[in-house]
Amino acid sequence: MTEQQLDCALDLMRRLPPQQIEKNLSDLIDLVPSLCEDLLSSVDQPLKIARDKSVGKDYLLCDYNRDGDSYRSPWSNIYDPPLDDGAMPSDRLRRLEIDANSAFDQYREMYFEGGVSSVYLWDLDHGFAGVILIKKAGDGSKNIRGCWDSIHVVEVQEKSSGRSAHYKLTSTAMLWLQTNKVGSGTMNLGGSLTRQVEMDSTVNETSHPHIANIGKMVEDMENKIRNTLNEIYFGKTRDIVNGLRATIPLQDQKQQDALRNDLAAALQKRQTHT
Amino acid sequence: MADFDEPISDQEKVRIASDFILHAPPGEFNEVFNDVRLLVNNDTLLKEGASGAFAQYNKDQFTPCRIEGSEKQVLVTEHGDVGGSRFIDPRTKQTFKYDHLRKEASDLQPASIDETAEPWRAALESQFTAYTADHYKYGVCSVYGSSSAGQITLTTCIESHQFSPKNFWNGRWRSQWSVTFPESGGSCELTGVLKVQVHYYEDGNVQLVSQKEIKESLSVTTESQTAKNFVKIVSDAENEYQCAISENYQSMSSVTFKALRRQLPVTKTKIDWNKILGYKIGNELKNA
Repeated sequence: MTEQQLDCALDLMRRLPPQQIEKNLSDLIDLVPSLCEDLLSSVDQPLKIARDKSVGKDYLLCDYNRDGDSYRSPWSNIYDPPLDDGAMPSDRLRRLEIDANSAFDQYREMYFEGGVSSVYLWDLDHGFAGVILIKKAGDGSKNIRGCWDSIHVVEVQEKSSGRSAHYKLTSTAMLWLQTNKVGSGTMNLGGSLTRQVEMDSTVNETSHPHIANIGKMVEDMENKIRNTLNEIYFGKTRDIVNGLRATIPLQDQKQQDALRNDLAAALQKRQTHT
Repeated sequence: MADFDEPISDQEKVRIASDFILHAPPGEFNEVFNDVRLLVNNDTLLKEGASGAFAQYNKDQFTPCRIEGSEKQVLVTEHGDVGGSRFIDPRTKQTFKYDHLRKEASDLQPASIDETAEPWRAALESQFTAYTADHYKYGVCSVYGSSSAGQITLTTCIESHQFSPKNFWNGRWRSQWSVTFPESGGSCELTGVLKVQVHYYEDGNVQLVSQKEIKESLSVTTESQTAKNFVKIVSDAENEYQCAISENYQSMSSVTFKALRRQLPVTKTKIDWNKILGYKIGNELKNA
C-alpha cells in the first residue's frame, strides 16, 4: 500500500501548482507521515541559502547535507547548528568534495556569472554519490523576478579494475518567473524539468579524473535542459495561451487563411504555365 | 507540521484533501482525485468531508456542460447555482441537476425568469455569443441577469479550454464580467476578472498561472446599445491583457532568462574540465 501511496504522492506533486511546492509537500507529509523520508529525498524543492560565517561564504541546503535540523557547509565541513556526531564524508571523499566544490564554483561563474553553488558527496559500497547544487536569482530588471535552481544527483559505481566507472546522473532544473504589472496583472510562470542520463567512462588521475567526467556530464545535461526550458516555457506554454483565445477575430483569420490559399493557388497556376 | 507520533485529526485530513482537489489543474480533476483518494485511504471520510470541494472546483473552473436539446453548452458557475445541486441555463431558460463527479446534467426543468432583467440579459447574451465565437475557438459563454430593488445585475462568464493529456499539457481561460445599474441607466462600473492557467508535465511540472482584475466605466442607455458597449469594453480589455502576456513572454525570454544562465561561457566554447582542475593543482604548487 505504501509504495502505491508514494506513487500517488509523486503524481500529485507533478500536478499541483509548483508555485506552492513547499506547502504541498508539508501537507502531503501531514497526510501520510510514513512517506516523510521518501518524499523529502525524492521531491525537489527550491534551494535555500545559508551563510557560513566562519569563511564568509554562502552555501545551499538540501536533504543530502542535512542531519536532523543541522546543515553541513561544504566550505568549512562544519554543521550549523553544531553537532557532536553529524554524518561526515570519509577523509578521502572530503578531499574529493573540496576539489569538486572548487571546480563547480568555477563552472558556476562561467555559466551563471553569479549565484551560489555547493557539492556534497557521500560514500556508496562500490563507489560514491553526490549532489551538485546551483542557485541564481535575477536582478529584477523589467520588473520581472526570476530564479534558477539546479539539482544534479550523480551516482558513481567504480569498476573493480579501477580504470573505468559507471555514472548515472539525474538532473532537475527549476525556473521561476514572476511579474505583477498593470497590463498583465499577476503572471507566474514556474516549475521544473527532470532528465536522466547514464554512461560508462574511463577513469584515471591525469586526463579522466572523476570530477572531469562528472563535470562534462553535468555541463552537457544543463545545456540541454536550458534549451528545453526555453522551448517549453517561452514557446509551448505561450502557444497554448494563444490557442485558447485569438486576438484577431477568427472570422478574419478564416478570411486571411482563405486569401492566403487563393494566392498560393494562383501563384502555383502561374508557375506551371511559365 | 505534525509530529510523527501525533497523527493529524480527520478534520485536518479533510482540509488538506479538499485543498489538493481545489488546486487540480484544468482537465486533471480525476487524476488528482484518485491520488487523494488513495492517500487519504478512507472513502467515507473523503465523501462526507470533501464532496463540497468537488462542487466548488467545478464552479470555480466554469465547467462547460452539454444539455439535451441545446446546441450550445452551459457553464457551471456560482452565478448559476440555484441550490440542491441544480444550476440554471439562462439561454434555454431551464434548470438542470448536475452530477459533480460524472460531470453530467439531468432532470431538466423550466426555470423562472427575472422579467425585469431579461431584455437586458438577452441582448447581452446575443452580443457575447457572437464575441465568444469570434475569439474563442473552443469557448462557451453563459450570461446571467437578475434584479433587486430597482437595480439590475448582469454577469457574463466565458470559458475556453484545451486538454491534451497525451501530449502532457492542459490549459484554460476564464473571463467574468459584471455590472450593476439602475433601470434608468447612466454611467456605471464594469468589473472583470481574467484568469489563465496552463500546465505542461512531460518529465516535469511547469505551470503558468495568471490573473488580472479590471474596472472600467460603462454607459447604460438602451438594452441593445448597452450590450454593444459592454462587449466593446470587454474585447479591448481582453486583447490588452493577452498582448501584455505576450510582451512579458518576450521580456522573460530575451532579458530575464538570458541573465540567469548563459548558453555558453564568454569563451564561446564548453569548459575544459582538466584545465579547471589544473588551476587547483597549479595553485597548490605555487603555495608549496
